[in-house]
Amino acid sequence: MWDLLKDVWLLFGRLFPFPTRPGLRRIGNPDRSSPVLVTCNFELTVREVIKTLERDGIAAWLLVAPTKGVNVWCAGGAGDFTADTVISIIKTTGIESLVDHRWLILPQLSANGVNFWTLKERSGWNPRFGPAHIKDLGAYLARNRWRTDPEHRRVTFGIKDRFVMGTNLGFNVSLLLALPLLIASAWMPGLWWKTLPLLFVLSVASSLLVFWLPGKIGVQKGLSLGLLASAAFVVASWIAWPLGPWTLLAWTGWILLLAAFVGYDMPSWSPLWRQDMKELVAGIKTTRVEIVPEKCIACHLCDVVCPVGVFGFNAATKKYEVQNLDACVACGACIENCPTDAIVNNFREGVCSCPTCYIIEGVGKIGGRKGKQPTTETSPVAVAASACDAGACGCDGSSQGR
Amino acid sequence: MSTLVYMKLLEQTPAKYDRGMRLLTLGRIDAIKREIADAWVQSGHAVLEIGCGAGALAALMTGRGARVTGIDVSDPMLTVARQAAPGAELFHMTAAEIDKLGAGRFDRIVSTLAFSELSEDEQDFVLKQAAMLLKPGGNLIVADEVRPVGLGARAIAASIRLPLAAITFLLTQNTTHALRRFESRLGQAGFRLVARKRYLLGTLALFVAEKG
Repeated sequence: MWDLLKDVWLLFGRLFPFPTRPGLRRIGNPDRSSPVLVTCNFELTVREVIKTLERDGIAAWLLVAPTKGVNVWCAGGAGDFTADTVISIIKTTGIESLVDHRWLILPQLSANGVNFWTLKERSGWNPRFGPAHIKDLGAYLARNRWRTDPEHRRVTFGIKDRFVMGTNLGFNVSLLLALPLLIASAWMPGLWWKTLPLLFVLSVASSLLVFWLPGKIGVQKGLSLGLLASAAFVVASWIAWPLGPWTLLAWTGWILLLAAFVGYDMPSWSPLWRQDMKELVAGIKTTRVEIVPEKCIACHLCDVVCPVGVFGFNAATKKYEVQNLDACVACGACIENCPTDAIVNNFREGVCSCPTCYIIEGVGKIGGRKGKQPTTETSPVAVAASACDAGACGCDGSSQGR
Repeated sequence: MSTLVYMKLLEQTPAKYDRGMRLLTLGRIDAIKREIADAWVQSGHAVLEIGCGAGALAALMTGRGARVTGIDVSDPMLTVARQAAPGAELFHMTAAEIDKLGAGRFDRIVSTLAFSELSEDEQDFVLKQAAMLLKPGGNLIVADEVRPVGLGARAIAASIRLPLAAITFLLTQNTTHALRRFESRLGQAGFRLVARKRYLLGTLALFVAEKG
C-alpha cells in the first residue's frame, strides 16, 4: 500500500524532493574491476538506475550521493549535486578500498553542478560523464565505458516523458492556482472544481502534443491548444449540453486563457526548452553562450556535457565553436566545466542579466515597436549598460560582456 | 513558472541562511556560539570549525586569541566569513575531507548546526576523522537540533516547532533536521561525553565530548 502511494506521488509530485538513504548500493555481484557509478538520492532515480542495471545484467557499484532528495539536473543547478557532494560520498562509502581502478561514471546531467576538474584534482578519481538518459547506461557500459556516443549525450523528450511531465505540470499549476480559484468560487460557484480538471487535461495535452501544436514554444503553442480545446468544447456543448451564447463565450475565453498559461509554463517541464519570460513573450533570447577562440584548447568537454548539442568542432581552426545557439537551454554545464574559462554567457550585448537591464531593455523594446528608434545614447543597451553596475546588484558580474 | 518557484525555494544566500537559523532557534544559536567561545575556547588554542557558515563563531573565537581553521562548502558563505573573521584560515572543504588537515593538530573541534546537514553515514565518518584530528584530551563541541526526550516533550516541541519551521521556510527557505542517536554515534567514534545542555524545550543541544 505504501509503495503504491509512493508511486502515485512520484507520478504527480516529481518536483518535490523525495530522498532515499545516501550510500553505497551493490548491483549484482560487483568485483574490484566493476564500474563505479554516481547518482542523486531522489528515490525514483535510484530505483530506475538499479532496475536498468539489473535488467541489463550489469554488476556495478552505485554511489547514491546526498543531494537532499532532489533529482540530478535540479540538484546540479541548485548546488546540491557538486564536486563536494561526490567527494563526500566517495570518502564516506570507502569505495576506494573496494575497487582497483579509479574511474567514476557520473550522470551527464550532473555537469551543471559537478565540476570535472575540481572533482578530479581533489578526489584523485577520473570522472567521466555518462549518458544523459538512464536507459542508455547499459549500452554505454557495454560498448565503451569511458566515452559517450553523441546520441547518448543528447536529451530527448519522448512520449512517455512528455506524458509524465504533463501530469506533473498539471499537478503543479493546479497547486499554484488552487487558492485563487477557491477564492473566486465565492463569486462564481463551482469555478474551482470545473477549472482544475480542465487545467490538468490541458497540461497533459500541451506536453503530449508539443511537437505538433502550431506556433512558437510557449504562449503561442498554448493558444493553439486553447483554440483546439475551445472548438471541441463548442461542439460538445452543441451536441450534449446546450449553453447560452454568453456562457459559451465566457467558457471558451476561459479555456484560451488557461491554455495560454499552461503553454507558458510547459517549457520549464521539458529538457529541450527553458522558461524565459523575455524569450517566450517578447522573442528576445537572453542566453548568448560564446566561446572565446583564443582560450579554447579543444578539450572536447563542452561538447560532452552539453545535453542539446550546441557546440561543434571546427576542423579548420581546430577549436570548438557555438554552432546551434537556438538549442541552448542555459543549463550552465559548459561554463562550469570549461578548464580555461573560454565559454562565456554574454546574455545581451555587453549587458548583464540583472533585473535593471531586463526592465530597461523591455521598455526599450516596446518603445521600438511603436516606431521610436532609440538613439545611441538612449538605446536600451546603452541605458542599461550605464545603469548597470555589474555585481553591485547581486547578479553574476562575470556575465558582463567582453 | 511553477519550476521557477521551485528553483527560487532552493536558492540560498548567506543572509537568508543566517536569518533562517536565528528565527528557527528564536535567537538562541547566537547565545550558544558566545557560550562556546567563552567557556570552551582559550587563547592559543588551535580550533577547527566544521561548517563555519558566515563566520560568526570563527570571529568570536579569533577575538579570544584562538588560531581558527574553518571549513565550509559554500563559497558565498566563505566570502562573508572572510570579512567577518579576517584572522581565521578559511577553506572550501567538505566535512569528509578534514583528514587532509593533519592528525593530532587541534585542541578543539567545534560545529554549530552543521552535523544535521550531513547524512548519517557522513556524520559517523566525520566523527571518526574528528577523533583523529584532536590532540589527546581535546574536545569536540557540537551544537545542533535534536529530538526532545519523552513523548510529551516531543508533542509540545512539535506543536511549537511546526508553525515556526513553516514560517521560517516561507521567509528564508531554510530549515534544519534533528540529529538522531548522536550520543551513541559519539561513543562509536571513540568520544566520551563530558557535558550536555539542552535548550528550547530540548530541541537544541550542546554536546561537549572528549577524545577517549
